[in-house]
Amino acid sequence: MRFMVIVHASKDTEAGAMPSTELLTAMGKFNEEMVKAGVMQAGEGLHPTSKGARIKFSGGDPVVTQGPFPVTDDLIAGFWLIDVKSKDEAIAWMKRAPFDGGAEIEIRQIFATEDFGEALTPELREQEERLRSGTAKNTARK
Amino acid sequence: MRFMMLMIPLGYETAPPDVQLDPAAAAAMMKYNEELQQAGVLITLEGLHPPSMGARVSFAGGKPVVSDGPFAEVKEVLGGFWMIDVASRDEAIAWAKRCPAGPNEIIEIRQVQEMADFSPEVQHALVGYEEMLAQTRRA
Repeated sequence: MRFMVIVHASKDTEAGAMPSTELLTAMGKFNEEMVKAGVMQAGEGLHPTSKGARIKFSGGDPVVTQGPFPVTDDLIAGFWLIDVKSKDEAIAWMKRAPFDGGAEIEIRQIFATEDFGEALTPELREQEERLRSGTAKNTARK
Repeated sequence: MRFMMLMIPLGYETAPPDVQLDPAAAAAMMKYNEELQQAGVLITLEGLHPPSMGARVSFAGGKPVVSDGPFAEVKEVLGGFWMIDVASRDEAIAWAKRCPAGPNEIIEIRQVQEMADFSPEVQHALVGYEEMLAQTRRA
């Protein structure tokens, strides 16, 4: 099962402050452990919402709003994608993450093809497979 | 430049674990996904199960505290994301505007941090990170 681990934004991340070298080193070590265990697939940090935008769909033309957005529990600062056997294993890994006080992360299961059931018709399934192999090529070109 | 297009479907914060997709909406979205892919901008995309199946880990007190979803106080949650590679932020916004999103859906555009965005000290602390990840993808 694959999970997305969402690292929530804080006043610090939104201000563009970088973590201390000490924390970065601890995080690097934690990532290395997850990679060696075959758990970690990706990890990225996002620029603050001051450099972002939102597009709202509510019928007519989509409406664009420029960042920054208010710091709530719902803003994202970064994420991992991990592959583990269960939600419990995902939680167990993340409890070991070397965060200092204040940080909060959210663990969410990623949809797999088999989760869609009958809504995923054979045509959609084939389209999905084409898409995945095509994105792999896009990534490989970079 | 890499950008995340974060899909925020309002109402998904209270969706039950067995939430079902609308086949017509899924088909329209797949067509859009194919356009992204054929334009060579799509790096990856994923959909997330609702927060009622998820968990949060808070490090506020120094020791991690786990709470199971759904999360009562939350107003917006992530439903899925695309990662795209485009020439500018404007191009990312233009792609997002073409998404066949439903009413009450929001897409948030966020630039992904690259190694070159970090200070020399931070880059030093992150030495080997990209290579390490490349290895996992090859495995």
